[in-house]
Amino acid sequence: MRALATYSVKGGVGKTTTAVNLAFEAGRAGVRVLVWDLDPQGAATYLLRGRPKLRGGSRRLVGTSGELEPHIRATDLAGVDLVPADLSLRHLDLHLDKAKRPSHRLRELLEPVADGYDLLFLDCPPSISLASESVIATVDGLLVPVIPAPLASRTLAQVARLLRDQAEPPSLLPILSMVDRRRSLHRELVDELTADWPQLLPTAVPAAAVVERMGVERAPVGLLAPRSVAAHAYRSLWADVASTLWSA
Amino acid sequence: MAPTFTRTDVESDQVVDALVADDFVLEGPVPSHRLVLETFDGDLAAAGLRLEQQVVAGHTTLVLTSRAGGPPASLDTEVRPAWPQDLPPGPFRARLESVTNGRALLPTLALSSSLRTLTRVDARDKPVVSIEVHDDLRVEGEPAPSPWLAEVQGRTGHANAAEAAAAALARLGLDGSDDDVVALVALDVGVSLEGHDTSPTVPLDADEDAVVAFRRVLRHLADVIDATIPGTLADHDIEFLHDLRVAVRRTRSVLTESKGVLPADVRATNRDFFRWLGQVTGPPRELGVYLVGWEDYTAPVTDATPAALDHVRKELEARRRAAHRDLAKALRSPATRDGLAAWRAWLAEADEPDGRHTVGPIVVDRIERAQATVLRAGRAIGPDSPAERLHDLRKDAKRLRYDLECFGSLFPAKPWRGFVDQLKALQDNLGEHQDAEVHLAYLRDLAQDLHHRANVDTDTLLAMGRLTHHIDRRRRRERQAFMERWASYDTKGNARTLDSLLGSVD
Repeated sequence: MRALATYSVKGGVGKTTTAVNLAFEAGRAGVRVLVWDLDPQGAATYLLRGRPKLRGGSRRLVGTSGELEPHIRATDLAGVDLVPADLSLRHLDLHLDKAKRPSHRLRELLEPVADGYDLLFLDCPPSISLASESVIATVDGLLVPVIPAPLASRTLAQVARLLRDQAEPPSLLPILSMVDRRRSLHRELVDELTADWPQLLPTAVPAAAVVERMGVERAPVGLLAPRSVAAHAYRSLWADVASTLWSA
Repeated sequence: MAPTFTRTDVESDQVVDALVADDFVLEGPVPSHRLVLETFDGDLAAAGLRLEQQVVAGHTTLVLTSRAGGPPASLDTEVRPAWPQDLPPGPFRARLESVTNGRALLPTLALSSSLRTLTRVDARDKPVVSIEVHDDLRVEGEPAPSPWLAEVQGRTGHANAAEAAAAALARLGLDGSDDDVVALVALDVGVSLEGHDTSPTVPLDADEDAVVAFRRVLRHLADVIDATIPGTLADHDIEFLHDLRVAVRRTRSVLTESKGVLPADVRATNRDFFRWLGQVTGPPRELGVYLVGWEDYTAPVTDATPAALDHVRKELEARRRAAHRDLAKALRSPATRDGLAAWRAWLAEADEPDGRHTVGPIVVDRIERAQATVLRAGRAIGPDSPAERLHDLRKDAKRLRYDLECFGSLFPAKPWRGFVDQLKALQDNLGEHQDAEVHLAYLRDLAQDLHHRANVDTDTLLAMGRLTHHIDRRRRRERQAFMERWASYDTKGNARTLDSLLGSVD
């Protein structure tokens, strides 16, 4: 099982929409996907029409006798299962801290179910915490959505610094998110980011009303408007991601 | 597996009406077509996988389910793959590639139905379980024994809902089965989803009459021959021909070893027939092996002149096609048809024990003789012995291996496997050496042939020279490795293992 996290220290940059839309595209491509919602706000759980309930809360989940399998739920998307989030995850750091090896605990929990999936998406809350460290120790790649904004490069630099401290850091995979090419500032910043960050995935996801509609319809863009520019972008982004994961 | 329900004296409409009254949401009917794809050997089933092309309401997907858990993998594609490589790169293809061992994916069971889906949703309008009702079930277009079936489709994390749905169907008086629709229909129409067993081992008792035991072994080998001929003719993959050839050779070997057991006239006639059958399968197999391993074979010489060997490859492909046409002609000829029919007719006669021998001592005697021949031949080989000696040893080792495999059920499994593995290691070395010898001779012949053709450039001939050099190095390497390989076969420990194996047969 390969593992990716959608991660950023900033909120509202499109982490969850990226995770959900890529999970949908991966599922259509014959990939068995597990989305694990680690954000107590539970946005991925909501978009995937899951019930925001972790039986026993995050304490029981990450505790010594915790297991992931009983928390896994099917979604309406072919090939995509979900570990839902609830508010108890706001204490995740606290509970991880009690584990023997906090940074390895997520990986330990995943091990028994790993054979059933080809790809894991960890949808993370916007923070730098013990949970982030555990996520970074678990995944092969960190998908970091960035909006073309003056501080975007700085945000990416913070994440890159975070990875630099790791013995075996995951790949940094920045994604241009919510791009509005009608705005000259966006065009300039996209050029700058492309020049500064060679790891940037080639596909830029446009700012689009249909992405916002996901919150109303609770479905990925590929189902809501399969011929839209945004759906096309997510398909293309999935191709970028898949080629980094399975290029060999 | 999804449990399935039906009952011949109940109409499916009654079941659907009852489920709708129980708050299940009805969708359909829509046309459904399912095609199970599997290798001849059943490699997917052995790995706990099932691959289906599903066309539901006009939408086509490939669905790969696993007994190991996780959701079914569902690939949106119109492609019906004959090979995993027909699919785009990614985990779906990789999972198939990792278990199919170079075998083609063949249609195994075609199932069509009119599909109605009844879904139970929870308080938040979330589907928790579905019941799929298949009406007008057909297999390969013909009505299936069960006119309709209802299958419970559970969803991960909602086991209780699936149990409740199954209980609801049971309460309607339906008969339940743990098999899903595909497995149940396959069972009804006698289609194996597990693939064909080409292993030569059949259950034997050391004390049973030798005539009966030898005939059982030969009948099983005849089944393998029958099962592999259609795939060989269709040229689905190279392994059909391999399996056919091995079954033919094993048949010949068992006939040879049946001296004093089976009637002399039956042995003589059929040994001749199977020798001929074995010979006609030779050329396409040799060329096929060449081509399947082409990339590996030519890798050391293609970096400098990557396209220079294209001519050679195309020529080999043309020759293999021609050899396969000759083989197909031979397999469809009256000689094959009549030979196999006569063989089958003799095998179909009632087994009549003659009370002269029991199979155990006969097999022990044959294996002792075969091993003695191998030891004599192997010990006579020195560093300067000609290649023919190694080839002869290879044939002797094959005879021993066939004896051990065809009568393998007489022996305790663990030491038997250990001894066969030792023998196999020796055979691998001898096989590699022989393949290199054959390929060298073939390349020289081909080079001469191409040299006389105006359209072959110098680069090709030079590349062939380099390839010849490379294969010759490999041949010499295998030749050098032989002495070491032989030394690890011809040991006291190995002899003791065989003695104890044979001694275990009372």
